[in-house]
Amino acid sequence: MNLKRIWTLVKAEVFHGPKDVVLVMAVVMPILLALFVNLAFGDIFTDRAKLGIYDAGTSPLTAKLASVGSMTVKTYRSEADLRAAAANGALDMGIVLPSDFDAKLATGTVNLKAYVWGESLAKNRVVIPLALNDAIRELTGAALPVNIATMPLGDESSLPWSDRLLPLTVLIAVFYGGMMLPASSLIHEKQRRTLEALNVTPATVRDIFTAKGIIGAALAIIMGVLTLAISASFGGSPLALVLVLALGAVLAAEIGLLAGAFIKDMNTLFAFWKFGGLLLFGPAFIFMFPQIPAWIGYIFPTYYVIKPVTDLTVLGLSFGSVAIYVGILIVIVFVMGLAVMNIVKRLRTQALRLN
Amino acid sequence: MNARVVKALLKKDIALFTSNRFYLLITVVGLVFYIGIYFVLPAQLDEKLSLAMYAPVVPPAFTQLTEHQSVDVKFYSTEESLKQVVLKGDYQVAVALPANIMETWAAGGKPQITVYYASTAPSEINAAIVALVKELSYAQTGKALNFETTEEILGPDMLGNQIALRDRMRPLLAVFILLVEILTLASLIAVEIEQGTARALLVTPLRTSDLFIAKGLLGVGLAFGQSILFMALVGGFSHQPLIILTTLIIGSVMVVGTGFLLASLTRDVTAVTGWGMLILILFAVPGFGTVIPGLISDWARVIPSFYLTDTVSRVANYGAGWGDVGMNLAILAGFTALVIWAGMQTLRRRYQ
Repeated sequence: MNLKRIWTLVKAEVFHGPKDVVLVMAVVMPILLALFVNLAFGDIFTDRAKLGIYDAGTSPLTAKLASVGSMTVKTYRSEADLRAAAANGALDMGIVLPSDFDAKLATGTVNLKAYVWGESLAKNRVVIPLALNDAIRELTGAALPVNIATMPLGDESSLPWSDRLLPLTVLIAVFYGGMMLPASSLIHEKQRRTLEALNVTPATVRDIFTAKGIIGAALAIIMGVLTLAISASFGGSPLALVLVLALGAVLAAEIGLLAGAFIKDMNTLFAFWKFGGLLLFGPAFIFMFPQIPAWIGYIFPTYYVIKPVTDLTVLGLSFGSVAIYVGILIVIVFVMGLAVMNIVKRLRTQALRLN
Repeated sequence: MNARVVKALLKKDIALFTSNRFYLLITVVGLVFYIGIYFVLPAQLDEKLSLAMYAPVVPPAFTQLTEHQSVDVKFYSTEESLKQVVLKGDYQVAVALPANIMETWAAGGKPQITVYYASTAPSEINAAIVALVKELSYAQTGKALNFETTEEILGPDMLGNQIALRDRMRPLLAVFILLVEILTLASLIAVEIEQGTARALLVTPLRTSDLFIAKGLLGVGLAFGQSILFMALVGGFSHQPLIILTTLIIGSVMVVGTGFLLASLTRDVTAVTGWGMLILILFAVPGFGTVIPGLISDWARVIPSFYLTDTVSRVANYGAGWGDVGMNLAILAGFTALVIWAGMQTLRRRYQ
């Protein structure tokens, strides 16, 4: 293996390699997915009631309601906007605080107008007025006639959907580019017979495979980090996180190189991706639905990528807590590396004709 | 149109489709998967605020809860059993009232009420129950607020008759089944262009229009057949079946037109898959609006599939009639005519 030749091959691949739909998808798809998950699923599926407020005056109630934990609150600049939002289901309820709201409240009367979305759940129609009453009471300084103690039971915690979907977005970011880029590049070379041409030069098959693997792994790391940046999920151990992503990226590139060595054309590669994707992304479903027994995840190699990533980012655990998974991941990467080396050896000895 | 030629072409295309194990498999597996998703999702929507309660003495204000249509309360005989139902996951929140609650209030004191919540429960559930307990306590001690409010319900009031998530997803899944056929049809055409068989066909007495009719029939058949089967199995024809059928057939033709366009604008099957996925994602966006109301606003109307999804949703879930969705169907038909014309024009050039 010659480092100078590998570097030359990497440069040639980057500057003159195919800039096709695989590359576009590898870059665009993870970013779109991460943006979508964060924008759309930030507070969706939480069953949290949504209240909109149009304050015609400057009532302190608006700020008080905005700090309430039992619902999502959004303020509007006009009553028409508020009404439209309640009509299309963006809000469960929209309330209009008239300009004399505070003056009337001082006399003990709550005066407001409410727009209720017809499909709002019954519980949300209870939760919002309760939160409203509670905020008004706090505002008027009413003395609470009870002491309330709240006690959590159990030792698990709930995760919002944006966090549950994080493993899927990270896996797609790392494995689509990391796997598809080296695989498609090798297939292109095979189809255009340039792999044989390269083999005539001093560059060995091992150099060619290493160069393609480096590009795939580099793209996978970049996309993985970018996805985490969009999701604002770096946790407390960013270096450990990058290490895990790097190992995942190498694993993705190794799978890509193996796929590229065995697969003849792009159609079969896409078919492999679509069905192999189920195996690669299986662990993501385990994180999405905690009802699925966690042990099922152990079967999938990508579990050992995504488990440490999730523990480090979402749960904020330290590297020590995920070391065992990282250890298993290193073993998987090593075994896959041996498999790639074996293929490289066979390609060398069979004049690049593996299949 | 030469019916014999079209029949022969159709036979050839069906053979091509069935010989490609991948497309055949994703068609069958996809359909089973969508139907499976529908039946796995809950058929009912739990729209009530559920809580467990331990109350040796139930204050009158708290008894109102049992009569409230939006709250589901179950009483337990001991505080320990109350904790157990929360730990078992039967309830997310539970409230324990002290035995001397009324005496404490009568003496001017503040009784201690405990709210137990599952650590997995979303924080808003706990906050809502605490607010409920506070309000009931205010009501019990004669400190109810004086409200002067006007309330307007926007849209049909679905209280007690909410649409379950799986029914909200039904239009999305039906439209998704249609949209996937863009990829199938475009790939079949792209293979012919790539392998040069399309040009070879045009050397024969076959006319280009026959070719389009055969491809169109195959595309419409695949898309329409699957979507009908799906809708029939998931009860999508319970309201206005004729409107649903009309919408799906227009949607199928739109899919064919889009498939023609995609095949004519891409170089090979790889590009079809890549760009086709982007089109599929874009066209699927309005469907998410039916699953999650309020997620997308009016800008989604610029996506043609909005009129397809919206029509299926309004008819299947809200019982809309011809008058309600007439404009949607007109826009959808107009776009479909445009896209099929553009697809045929560009594809004709590509073939020749």
